[in-house]
Amino acid sequence: MELPVLNETSQSEGGCSAGSCGSTDDQLSHLSDDIRDKVQNHPCYSEDAHHYFARMHVAVAPACNIQCHYCNRKYDCANESRPGVVSELLSPEQAVKKTMAVAANIPQMTVLGIAGPGDPLANPERTFATFQALSEQAPDIKLCVSTNGLALPAAVEELSKHNIDHVTITINTLDAEIGAKIYPWVFWNNRRIKGKKGAQILIDQQQKGLEMLVEKGILVKVNSVMIPGVNDKHLAEVSKVVKAKGAFLHNVMPLIAEAEHGTFYGVMGQRGPSNDELQTLQDECSGDMNMMRHCRQCRADAVGMLGEDRGDEFTLDKIEDMEIDYQAAMEKRKVIHQAIEAEMNEKRAASEQSQQQALAAPKLNTRPVLMAVATSGQNVINMHFGHAKEFLVYEASPDGVRFISHRKTELYCSGDDTCGDAETALQRNIRTLEGCEVVLCSKIGYEPWEQLEQAGIQPNGEHAMENIEDAVMAVYREMAENGKLEESNDDQRISA
Amino acid sequence: MALKIIESCVNCYACEPLCPSDAIYEAKPHFLIDAKKCSECDGDYTDPQCASICPIEGAILDALNVPLNPPGSLTGIPPEKMAEAMAELQSH
Repeated sequence: MELPVLNETSQSEGGCSAGSCGSTDDQLSHLSDDIRDKVQNHPCYSEDAHHYFARMHVAVAPACNIQCHYCNRKYDCANESRPGVVSELLSPEQAVKKTMAVAANIPQMTVLGIAGPGDPLANPERTFATFQALSEQAPDIKLCVSTNGLALPAAVEELSKHNIDHVTITINTLDAEIGAKIYPWVFWNNRRIKGKKGAQILIDQQQKGLEMLVEKGILVKVNSVMIPGVNDKHLAEVSKVVKAKGAFLHNVMPLIAEAEHGTFYGVMGQRGPSNDELQTLQDECSGDMNMMRHCRQCRADAVGMLGEDRGDEFTLDKIEDMEIDYQAAMEKRKVIHQAIEAEMNEKRAASEQSQQQALAAPKLNTRPVLMAVATSGQNVINMHFGHAKEFLVYEASPDGVRFISHRKTELYCSGDDTCGDAETALQRNIRTLEGCEVVLCSKIGYEPWEQLEQAGIQPNGEHAMENIEDAVMAVYREMAENGKLEESNDDQRISA
Repeated sequence: MALKIIESCVNCYACEPLCPSDAIYEAKPHFLIDAKKCSECDGDYTDPQCASICPIEGAILDALNVPLNPPGSLTGIPPEKMAEAMAELQSH
């Protein structure tokens, strides 16, 4: 389907295009310097930064103006971690207090987002009161907002006043036929509008909002939920169009649908994509634009590093008693941020150097390999196999090392066929690593070692505390030297 | 002539600012409609506003206790399919 590009803005390119310089997983390399400065410490935008910096969401926005088939507004479970879910609704005053308490206690926290549990722009008073107070009282915190886009055009002016430079729009389609299969209704001009007509209104508002934000110089990231059989074939087109309009990042996320969530897709048995399908689509889209693969689809009240949630330490009753001297906290935060940046720059330089060395070495002619890594951050292998709640998956190939995805070990299983009663947690976790040939961790016990080997996955604890990319490359070269990668077949895709 | 909000309300605030009669107010355990003030939006809007944005089927009833958004009307999930899924979950 050919769609008109209404607002063709020429994107200022950096020195080189994506993938042609730096490490192959450096997603920000194609951005202009000013955009890169804006996002390089943002854990949600920079794959690099998410190893060092933390984010938080405050749940001040309960109302929503649309229904999505992957969302259930009745759902609230403390053990769940996914979008739209929240334990405690906050007033703007409580949200400001919580944000400052977290910022003082977790100095790595650089970003405050409002993402729900409804739509932030369907709650403009609560959302903007929070942003206004924070930009006055805690100017060192970056503000961002995530929206379905329906109320976006009407909010752009207000957003630009509060100096919010990051907006995420969830755009799942450009086609109302497809839209009607994702959005049963929208609330628009005092009516509930169902079906294709409602979907068309949403699509028009999203595209208009995107154009208006770009016009204002506000950074826009686009999120898309990949729904097999519904919009999966269409998302490459979405990627193309939103990039042409000036979105700087596209994030394709897998549908989360389980019957127990009570969502339309969950109850009706709509499946989510397999790891392989997701990776194929992300690869297809990355030819057109910058992709992010480290998104953790966090809750609307998540606190901490991506993939972790420390919200329990900052509940309303706990922050009530905290006395925060934010001026002092800000001084301390500044020092810590500088130290982290210095460390990041050092590691970036070292990684560039090792990439150069890798290029200088004779080029391998071997097949790519997927490896799983257990890490708790800092971009090093520092997690015990049995303690890992997720694994990061990297692909090593003659072209270098690139980050592919994360795989959760406990929270979600990938379908009924992997959740038989007889299956132990260990066996389930091993199945999560399907497609990987090596797992790198700081330590591993005897039993998992044996079971991993039986499953054809080589455990490796020899690179504890080493830089991830360097270690993955070292293991890859070792495999090549030992003749484990003999057959080279460019057409062969490794199942991810 | 008045609408009412019942216990399945999830307190999402969506209806409160839309009411042209200021009849909706925050209460525990859920939002309520002041029957004296509610006009069912007659004269202001074609459709009652609270029932047009409410995401929860069955949470808003008319004067005859009939839900304005019956089961299946908002989520598109056929009620029997929902019952099936819930029964299946409870049997585990």
